[in-house]
Amino acid sequence: MSDFNAAAFRQHFPFFTEQPEWIYLDNAATTHKPAAVLDAVGLFYRQQNSNVHRGTHLLSETATNLYEDARTCVQKYLNAAESAEIIFTSGTTAALNQIAYGLMHSVLKAGDRVVISALEHHANIVSWQLHCQRFGVILDVIPLQGDAASGYQLDLNAYNKLLSLNPKVVSLTQVSNALGCILPLENMLLAAKACGAITVVDGAQGIAWQVPDMQTLAADFYCFSAHKLYGPTGLGVLYGKREWLEKLTPLLGGGEMIEHVSFARSRFNQLPARLEAGTPSIAAALGLAAAIRFISTFDAEQIKSYKRLLLKTFHDGIQHIPGINLLSAQQNNAGIVTLNVQGEHPADLALLLNEQRIAVRAGQHCAMPLFELLAVPGAVRFAFAPYNQLTEVEQCLNALTQAVEILAL
Amino acid sequence: MTMEQLLTDTATALTAIRQQDLPVLQQPLDWQSKYRLLMQLGKKLPSIPEKMRQNEWLVKGCESRAWLLHYHDSANNKHYFLLDSEARIVKGLLAIMLSFINGLSQQELKQLDLQRAFDALNLKPYLSQSRSNGLNAMIMRIKANITGS
Repeated sequence: MSDFNAAAFRQHFPFFTEQPEWIYLDNAATTHKPAAVLDAVGLFYRQQNSNVHRGTHLLSETATNLYEDARTCVQKYLNAAESAEIIFTSGTTAALNQIAYGLMHSVLKAGDRVVISALEHHANIVSWQLHCQRFGVILDVIPLQGDAASGYQLDLNAYNKLLSLNPKVVSLTQVSNALGCILPLENMLLAAKACGAITVVDGAQGIAWQVPDMQTLAADFYCFSAHKLYGPTGLGVLYGKREWLEKLTPLLGGGEMIEHVSFARSRFNQLPARLEAGTPSIAAALGLAAAIRFISTFDAEQIKSYKRLLLKTFHDGIQHIPGINLLSAQQNNAGIVTLNVQGEHPADLALLLNEQRIAVRAGQHCAMPLFELLAVPGAVRFAFAPYNQLTEVEQCLNALTQAVEILAL
Repeated sequence: MTMEQLLTDTATALTAIRQQDLPVLQQPLDWQSKYRLLMQLGKKLPSIPEKMRQNEWLVKGCESRAWLLHYHDSANNKHYFLLDSEARIVKGLLAIMLSFINGLSQQELKQLDLQRAFDALNLKPYLSQSRSNGLNAMIMRIKANITGS
C-alpha cells in the first residue's frame, strides 16, 4: 500500500468538483489541471499580460522575467545544463518535427539511417517520413516481440543489428502511448551513443511517469507536452544538448528568432530564441512552471506505486469479466490498459462506456502501424492518473461489465 | 446477392425500422434498453458483402469503418443507399439516419431536418459535429453523392 493520499491529491483539481459525474480515464490524451495551474494562467492574463522580449515598458519586462523563470523551472526539472537548452514549442509533435526537420536539413545525408521503434506515436514516425524520401534517408523500425500476456516488448537483438548499420539518429518513445509499456531507454540510448548516433526521446507519455535526468540519460533531445503533465494545452518542451540545438535548422522563421534580416539573407539569433519564432504561448509556459512546482511537492516514487496499485486493481477486476482481450500487460507499464471485448468493435464499447460517463479513448491511438502488427482494428484505452481513485476503478469495472452484458445480446 | 436485391432488402428493412423501432425510441427508455434496441435495429439492415466493401465506398472520418453505396433511380429521380458498419451500435445509429433519407429526391433531402428528427428520438447527442462515431461523415458523403448525381 502506498502512502500517497490520492483523495487529497484529487482535491487540487477543480474539474472533479465541477464535473462530478465523470470518471476520467483518458489521461494519456490529456490530464486535468490543478488549481495552481489555472491560477497562474488566469493571473497572467488578469495582471501581467504583455508580450515577451519586446517592449521597453515594465509590463513586458515582468512578462519576460516570468517566461524566462518558467524556462529555468523546466531546466531544473529535467536537470538540463542550462536554460538555453529548453525550447518552448507548441507541443511534442512540434518539437519532434523541429528535430527531424532541423537534422535532415543540416546533419543528415543521403544514405544515412534513422532508427525508430514499432511502438512509436505517429508524431515520431511521420515527422521523419516527411523528409526521408527527399533527402534519401532510410527509416528503420525496431520490431516487436512477445505477446499480450507477458507484454509486448521491442526486439533488442534486432535493435542491435540495426545499430550495427551505424544509424545517424535513434528516436524512441519513453512509454508506448497505445500499450503503456516502458522502454528500457537507459541501455538502448547508451548503445545508440556507443555507435555515434544522435539520440531523441519522445517523452509525451513518459514525463508523467518518470522525469528524466538529462545529466544521466544518454539523450541528445527530449520532448514532452505540458498538457500531459497537468499543464495547459498548446505548449511543449524541446530539450536539446546545446551542440545539437545549435545545428538544428529552424523549422519556423519569424520574429525574435533572427539577429539580422535583410531581403537577401538573415542571420539567426542565439539559443533559445533562434528556435522560438513568433510570440510564444506565454501564459501556458507559466502554467507549465506552476504544474511542475505543484507535482514536485509530491513524492514521485509514491505516485508511481499508487499508479501501479490502480493498474493492479483494474487488472485483477478484469479477470472476472468474460471475453476481455487485453493488449497491454501489467508488468513494466506506466498506467495504461488497452483492451477489446472479444468479437466487438472498440467504437461500440467506447459508446457504452461514454453512456456511463467513463471517459476513455477508442481507436488506433495515433499508432496505426502498431495496430497492424497486433492485427486488431483498434482498442479501448484506459489511462490512469494519480487523481483517479480506487473507487473509480471499481465503478469502471462495473461499467465494463454492463457494457459486456449489453454487447453479448 | 445482387445490388438490386440488396437495395430492395435495405429499403424494406428501413421501412420496418421507421414503423416498428423509431416509435419505441420516442418512449422514455433506460440507456441499456436504448442500446439493445440500437443493436437490434442495426442487425435488420442487410450487410454489404465483403467483396462489395471496396475502398471507394469507405466513408472516412469514423473510429470504425463504414461503407456507403449510392443508387440514383433516374425514372423517379430518387436516391437509394446501401450502408454498413463494422461497429454494431454505430450501424444502428446509421440505420436510423438512413431511414429518414433513403428514397428521397435531392429537393426532399434539402428540406429534411435531420437534427430535429434525431431530437425527437432522444438521440440528439449522436449528431453533434465533434462526435467521431461517423454520423456526420456519413451525412456529408450522402449529400455529396446526391448533389454529384
